Amino acid sequence: MMRSIIHIMIREWKRILTLPEHYIVLLVLPPLVCLLYGYIYNNQFARDLPVAIWDESHSPLSRKFAFMLEQTESIHITQQVDNEASVQKMMEQGIIQGAIHFPEKMDDHIKSRQPVYITVYTNTAAVVTAKLIYKDAAKVLITAGSGVTLQKFVKTGMPAGKAMALVQPIRLTSYMLYNPQYNYQQYLVPGLIAVALQMMIIMVTVLALNLEEKRGTFAELNAMANGSASNVLLGKGLAHLSVGWLHYILVTCIVFPLFAHGRIGGSWPLFILFTLLIMGCISIGLMVSAIVSDVMVACDLGLFYTSPAFVFSGFTFPRWAMPWYDQYYAWLMPFTPFLDGFFKVYFMELPMHYVYKEAGQLLIYIAVTFPVALLFLQRKLNKLSLQHA
Amino acid sequence: MRDFFQHITRLFLREVRLVATDHSLLLTLLIAPLLYAFFYGSIYSYKVEEKVLLAVADDDKSELSRAFLQQLNKMQIAAVTGARDLQDAQDKMYYGECQGYLYIPRGVEKKVLALQQADIVLAVNAARFLPSSELAGGITTLALTVGAGVRLKYNEMQGLNSQMALRETQPVNLDYRPMYNARSSYGAFLLPGLLALILQQTLLIGLSESMALDKEKGRVPELVKTGGGGLSATLWGKGLFYMLLFCCYAFFFMTVNYTTLNIPFRGRVLDVAVVFFLFFFTLIPLGIWLGSMFRSQLMAAQMMVFSTYPVFLIAGYAWPYESLPVPLQWVSSMVPTTPFLRVYQSIVQMGGTLGDNAASVLHLVALSGFYTLLALLGLRRLNKRQQSIYL
Repeated sequence: MMRSIIHIMIREWKRILTLPEHYIVLLVLPPLVCLLYGYIYNNQFARDLPVAIWDESHSPLSRKFAFMLEQTESIHITQQVDNEASVQKMMEQGIIQGAIHFPEKMDDHIKSRQPVYITVYTNTAAVVTAKLIYKDAAKVLITAGSGVTLQKFVKTGMPAGKAMALVQPIRLTSYMLYNPQYNYQQYLVPGLIAVALQMMIIMVTVLALNLEEKRGTFAELNAMANGSASNVLLGKGLAHLSVGWLHYILVTCIVFPLFAHGRIGGSWPLFILFTLLIMGCISIGLMVSAIVSDVMVACDLGLFYTSPAFVFSGFTFPRWAMPWYDQYYAWLMPFTPFLDGFFKVYFMELPMHYVYKEAGQLLIYIAVTFPVALLFLQRKLNKLSLQHA
Repeated sequence: MRDFFQHITRLFLREVRLVATDHSLLLTLLIAPLLYAFFYGSIYSYKVEEKVLLAVADDDKSELSRAFLQQLNKMQIAAVTGARDLQDAQDKMYYGECQGYLYIPRGVEKKVLALQQADIVLAVNAARFLPSSELAGGITTLALTVGAGVRLKYNEMQGLNSQMALRETQPVNLDYRPMYNARSSYGAFLLPGLLALILQQTLLIGLSESMALDKEKGRVPELVKTGGGGLSATLWGKGLFYMLLFCCYAFFFMTVNYTTLNIPFRGRVLDVAVVFFLFFFTLIPLGIWLGSMFRSQLMAAQMMVFSTYPVFLIAGYAWPYESLPVPLQWVSSMVPTTPFLRVYQSIVQMGGTLGDNAASVLHLVALSGFYTLLALLGLRRLNKRQQSIYL
C-alpha cells in the first residue's frame, strides 16, 4: 500500500511538472500573484490626496489651520475654491477628494464667543480616501479647537493643569494593536495571498481525477493503485500537499517578510493552520473531481466555489454585518475558519491553543469531503475493473 | 453592406448555438452574472457594520463610568460585553469574542469631579481594519462629547446662562459632510463597482473561453469564413452576442439590482448607457484577443479566474490610482476597468456627466481601438496558422 501511494505521489508530481493546466497554476502563478499583490500596496498608505481649501476667513488662524492640514499624511492642498458648487464639480471631475471650508470672520467669531463651524467635505463615493481625509482633518481641527479652548481658560488665569483637565476631562489613550499605522500592505497582502493560494490548490485538484479520464490515463492510475481509491487519493493528496508547503515557504520566507513585515518562516501555529487549509482544499477539490467527470464543469464549479471566498470570509467586511444566509454560506468555505485563525496566529502572534477551535473546524471539511471522494472514486475504479474483466 | 450584416447575423447565430451547447459557457454567461450579482450584492445589503463587540473592564464602577458605558452601548457601532478584569478583556479579544477592549481604571469619576484629567484606555484589534477604525472613531467622539458635557457644566457653574455656556463649551466645531454616501458605508461604496466588475469578468471569461474553444477545435478558419472572410466582421459578429447580452445585463443590474440593494443612482441614464456601451466595445476585442492566446478552453477559464482580484485592485477603485507604484499605474492605464470605473462612479454615485469625464471617455475609446487592433491581429494569426494545418 505504502509503495503504491508513493508511486502515485511521484507520478502526480510528474504530472504537475508537465501538464500546463497544473504547473502554470501551481508553480508559475503563485510567485507572480504574490509579488503583484505585494507590489500593489508597496506605498503602504494612501498619501497626499488632493484636497481643496475654501477660505472665506482669510485670517491668520485659517492659514495656520491650512498649514497644519497640509502637514498630515493624507491631505495635500491642491486647489483653492470659493463656493460649494465648485467643490462638488471638482469632486465629480475627480480633481479633488475632499475640501475644507473656513467660514467668514472665523477669528472674530471665536474672539466674540460665537462658535464657529469648520466644514470638512469628502467624496465618500470613494470611502477609503474619504475616511483617511476625515481622520486627518478631524485630528487637526479637534486639536486646534482644543488649543483655542485651552487658551481661553488660561487667559482667565486658570492654572494650566486645570485648564487642560477642562479641555479634555477624560483622556482616551487608544492602542491600535497589530497594525498601529493602518498599513494597507501589512493588512491586505497576507489575506489576499492566502485566498489566492487556496484558489490555486482547489482549481487544480478539481482536475486531478477527471483529467485522467479525459486524457485516457485513468486505467494506468487504477493499475498503479491496485484498484484502491484511498491509494489514489492519498498519493495525489500528498503530492498537492507538498506543493502547498512550497507555497508556504515562498510566502513566509520571501513574500511576507518582504512586503508585509512578516517573520521569516512564519510560526508553527501558522504552518499547522496553513497545512489544514491546504488539506481541506485538496479534499474538496478531489471530491469534486471524483464526482464530476466533465473537466470544464468541474473547473467552473471550482471557480464559483472559490472566487467569493475572500469577500465572504469577512476579511474586508465583517461577517457579523452580513445577512444570516451569507454568514452560513461563508462556512461552506475552509477559508473562513482559516482566516479567523490566521488573524490570531499571524497578526496577533498567539500560541496554538487560541486556534484549536478553528483547527477543529478545518478538520471537519476534510472529514466530510474525503470519504465522499473515496466513495465516488472507488465506484469509478470498480466499474473500470469490471469493464476490464 | 448587406452582405456584411448577413455575415454578422450568421456569426451571431453561430455564437448562440455554441453557447447553448457548451455547459461551461452557458454557466458562465447566463447563470453566473445573475447569481453573482444577487449573491455578492446581498453581503453588503446592510451597507454598514453595527454593534462591534467591545469588552469593557470597569474598575471604577462609578456613576460616571456607568453613564459612559450606557452611552457607548447606545452607539450604533458598539456593543458592550462585560469583562471581569483587564486580563479577561484581553483574553476575550484573543479568542475572537470581541474586537477590542476598554479599560476604565479606578478613580476616574473622582478625578473628573476634582477637575483633574482622568485616563481611560482603549485597545482595538487593528488587524481587522474596518471594525477597529470605526470603533476607535466612535469612542473618541464619545470621550470628546463627555468632555464637552463637563465643560458645559463648569461654564454653567461659573454663572453663564445656558446659551452662553453652550457657546463657550466648544468654540471651534467640526461639521463633517460626507458627500455622495451620507452614511460613509462600505456597502454603498463597493456595490456599484462590484456589479460592474461582475459584468466585466463574466464577459471576459465567457468570451475568452469561447474564442479559446474555437482555437482548440481548429475552427478559426470556419469562423472567419462565416464572417465572409473579413476579420472585422468576424470580430464584431462573434462579439455581437456578448454586446447584446451584456447590455441587457447592465440594464437589469442598473434597475433591478440597484433597486433591491437600495443603491442611489444620481446620474443621467443616457450617460451611463453610453459608457457601458463603450466599455463592452472595449472588452469584446480584449476578450477575443486574450482567448486567441490560450491553448484551450480550460486554460482560458483557469487563467482568467486569477485576473479578477488583480484587475480590481489596480483599477483605482479600492485603492487610489495615484498610490500605486508608477509601473503599475502604466499597467492600470492599459486595463479598460480603470477609465470605465472613473466615469461610471462619477455618473452613478456623484451625478457627474460624460463631459465632466471627457479625458477618461477618450481613454476608453483609445483602449477600444488598441484592443480591436490586437484582436484583429490575433484572429489573422490564428486563421493563417490553422489554414496552413488544413492545407
